[in-house]
Amino acid sequence: MFKNHIKIAWRSLKMDKMFSSLNILGLSIGLTIAILLFAFITFEKSFDTQYKNYADTYRVLVNTTGDAFDKEIMATAPAAVAPTLKDELPTVKHTARMLQHSFGETAFIKANNNNFLEKRLFWCDQELFSIFETKFIKGDAATAITRPNTVVLSKSAAEKYFGTIDPIGKTIKVDDKTELEVTGVFEDFAANSTIDCNLIASFSTTYFFKEPSWSNSSFETYVQLKQNASKSTSEKQIQQILDKNVDKEGQWYTLTLQPLSEVHLYSKDYTSTYTSRIGSISEIKNLSFLALLILLIACVNYMNLMTARSQKRAKDVGINKTLGASSKSLIARFYSETGLLTLIALCIGVVLSVVIIPVFNGITGASLDYNFLLRADFILGMFLVWLITTLIAGSYPAFYLAGFSPSSILKPANRTVSNAVVRKALVVLQFTASVVLIVGVLVVYQQLEFMKSKDLGYTPQNVVAVSTAAIETYTNKQALANEVKKLSSVIEVGSAQGFPGMDVSGRSLHKDDQDENGKNIQTNVADASVLEVLQLKLLAGKTLPSVKQEGDTLVDVVLNKKAITYLGFTPEEAIGKKVDMQLGDDATIIGVVDDFNFESLHKPIGAYAFHNSRFEGRPYLLVRFNSASVTSTMQQLEAAYTKVAPDSSFDYTFLDKNMEQLYAQDRKMAKVGLLFCLLAIFVACLGLFGLAAFTAEQRKKEIGVRKVLGASVVGITQMLSKDFLKLIGVSLLVAFPVAYFLMQKWLEEFAFRVHIGWFVFFVAGMCAVLIALLTVSFQAVKAATANPIKSLRTE
Amino acid sequence: MLLELNNIYKWVQSGGQKIFLLKDINLKVEEGEFISIMGPSGSGKSTLLNIIGMLDVFNEGEYHFLEDSVHSLKEKHRSNLYKQYIGFVFQAYHLLDELTVYENLEMPLLYKKYSSAERKALVADMLDKFNIVGKQKLFPSQLSGGQQQLVGIARALISSPKLILADEPTGNLNSKQGEEIMEIFKELNKDGVTIIQVTHSEKNATYGSRTLNLLDGRKV
Repeated sequence: MFKNHIKIAWRSLKMDKMFSSLNILGLSIGLTIAILLFAFITFEKSFDTQYKNYADTYRVLVNTTGDAFDKEIMATAPAAVAPTLKDELPTVKHTARMLQHSFGETAFIKANNNNFLEKRLFWCDQELFSIFETKFIKGDAATAITRPNTVVLSKSAAEKYFGTIDPIGKTIKVDDKTELEVTGVFEDFAANSTIDCNLIASFSTTYFFKEPSWSNSSFETYVQLKQNASKSTSEKQIQQILDKNVDKEGQWYTLTLQPLSEVHLYSKDYTSTYTSRIGSISEIKNLSFLALLILLIACVNYMNLMTARSQKRAKDVGINKTLGASSKSLIARFYSETGLLTLIALCIGVVLSVVIIPVFNGITGASLDYNFLLRADFILGMFLVWLITTLIAGSYPAFYLAGFSPSSILKPANRTVSNAVVRKALVVLQFTASVVLIVGVLVVYQQLEFMKSKDLGYTPQNVVAVSTAAIETYTNKQALANEVKKLSSVIEVGSAQGFPGMDVSGRSLHKDDQDENGKNIQTNVADASVLEVLQLKLLAGKTLPSVKQEGDTLVDVVLNKKAITYLGFTPEEAIGKKVDMQLGDDATIIGVVDDFNFESLHKPIGAYAFHNSRFEGRPYLLVRFNSASVTSTMQQLEAAYTKVAPDSSFDYTFLDKNMEQLYAQDRKMAKVGLLFCLLAIFVACLGLFGLAAFTAEQRKKEIGVRKVLGASVVGITQMLSKDFLKLIGVSLLVAFPVAYFLMQKWLEEFAFRVHIGWFVFFVAGMCAVLIALLTVSFQAVKAATANPIKSLRTE
Repeated sequence: MLLELNNIYKWVQSGGQKIFLLKDINLKVEEGEFISIMGPSGSGKSTLLNIIGMLDVFNEGEYHFLEDSVHSLKEKHRSNLYKQYIGFVFQAYHLLDELTVYENLEMPLLYKKYSSAERKALVADMLDKFNIVGKQKLFPSQLSGGQQQLVGIARALISSPKLILADEPTGNLNSKQGEEIMEIFKELNKDGVTIIQVTHSEKNATYGSRTLNLLDGRKV
């Protein structure tokens, strides 16, 4: 019997080629998206599972308790944590610290007489290789980086730095001062590993190895517990160890353990993590929701197209019933047909997704390869997708069609009418989803455009920050600044600790001694020209002095408006006042600038200060240049840099590009949204096309009669199209409030956001109507121009 | 006795009025009879045939088929009954387009869960009997109208029903093809199959052993 179902299904597929291809096309698109997303989710969930000690490995999190820091959770811990836990925590097996070079800066590497920039140089404890078992191609994992001044390279880094030469025993020089001996080469970490180092140097080289403190919390710390050791017990013991080693005053944090299984997906809001591979569970949820929506649209589409042929189906059902078919066997038959079709669509989907993977990787920044196709969980997942799609998509044809009474074959007039409502509802559902997606995409793009064009209070365009970390002496830095100033295309040059768009030094600002909590403030060591370079608006006072005498302990501070408003001053009043912001007792306000967006527009503007204390250095040269010729300016800058620092590479950041980087995630969602939106609309059109064909078929007789009575082709086309416009109208009414609500929610993630105007809805509505009209009119014209004699002839 | 209809009424509501499709129909059919139902368009011929075939329900009256009282049976039992005892032949043949002649003949047997060997034997018999062995691999669209109706009859007969219901079986055929089909019915009747046919043609009606005339839903 089953064989027979499949045979019939296959033959009826072949018989109605257009419908079959529409059907398969719609389903294939839905399934392609589902496959890609499923592969993406499988990949994201597979993070770190390749490590043998996956279940017993934890990262130490620092949960700040002090009020001065707005509560935050840091992924890095103090240097003293790892060795102390190793000695005192009974459940521990291995511990390892990781410090990204210079707390997250680019390293300047000299190797084999060439200069390189390296963003992924880490200083780590030897036991890292025990926790995350690492395959060494050369050297010994157990001893490679126990000695100070040793380093191991990933295979690709070794090839980059040394080419075909055997790197073992060679030295590399970091930032023109530290020499490291290469003692090993390891296989690159897999794409789904949170640990993503290129160079791993011995932690014992660093100052922090000998003097581990309990306060500087900059070291990503992993612990591997003994098998089956309890997390909560260990955490309690860690608290006791903390109490023993650090007095209550110094405990501005508590320590917790984060299982390795949560490190990749649940760390988005944790600060100062070093890995470049941070996933987001909310992103996965959003994408899954979108994928399911598209799959649902595709299923609805299938139902629509199936029932559009119900005229013929009704006859078949009637005949089969008179031949003795039970409803059950007919349901089985329609399900077999759906199953077969879904299977074909799934195969096409797999092929399509294989083709699309590079594009998908490009858009989402994922690094999917083709291995997932053979993974057992993927295959099982695909089977489930197939089953579920078949069950959903097949339900309507199976139960609706199988329910036809056998006598309906003898009474063609009144069949199928009763379910017109369901079918219309399905189309409304499809179009509602599509319109929601259109509105969503429009709002997302408006917001992105808004973020690009918003006045930030400073001008990031045409400013480049050149890193001078590798230049040793102050004199040389000064020489570089002078050199750059001479360039004709350069307008202004300043030097600073950092620039808007990057985290500088977090401190806390206090009104007076009673103000214990204080307010977070970003502090940035700068020189006199920085305000000019950034084009900040000075509200009162003056900029920082250009010369500071040796031994001058006075700290001059330029605050932004947010900061002085917190202190309770107007800009004019603030000038000359002393300020308590952890910069010593002599910090004095000498100027006030207007507020500017130094962080992404996701966040409201906070307090910010430029100052000239000597606590911190100024590793960046900020250069404002003419927009005329960026390339030649950059060449000139590089030449000037190489003249002063011949032994290190030229590293720079454009401020506007850096700001854009902050919105990478948003742009990614926008692109994915746009892609999904287009596909959803396409699939919805297939559904509408099916419904139009169905209606035309059903009203064939009516159209014939009208034509005989003298109706024009235009008139009939209008008549048929009008009904569909009503459906689209209903969809719009449903979709607009839903879209408004959803997008308002999305916009809440931005402190600075666009207002959702009527124009968005107008455009989305027009799109939907136009697309629908184009789709429907094809069928309508076809029906209207058909010869009435054919349709009026009875059986 | 094969079946008996007593005081059958069927009506539909239209604009607050009852429109009678059948009024007070009484009919007794013995096994081996060949009955023709005649009457002008709209007289209720097809409705009556559908009621006899249990594809349609009636509003009033009693219907006995063999030992069963059809009027008091549930839908499911009713369909089991017609599946077991009745074969249908249609004016528009109603063969399944996707299936070959062979598969069309096999279909009722599949539904009735015959074994594969039994199916083969029965289909071969039928093909042989109707002289269409050479056509078994063709699809309905590749056959002439007369040939299609031949397959239709063969399909109705394959599970050896007690009763064949034929709704204008020659309506779509030319006179020569029609005659051939009627001859086949006559042969079948001789072999003991009970036949009830609806027809417009006086000539076809003469093949039957008796004629039932309908006008406006009444027997005349």
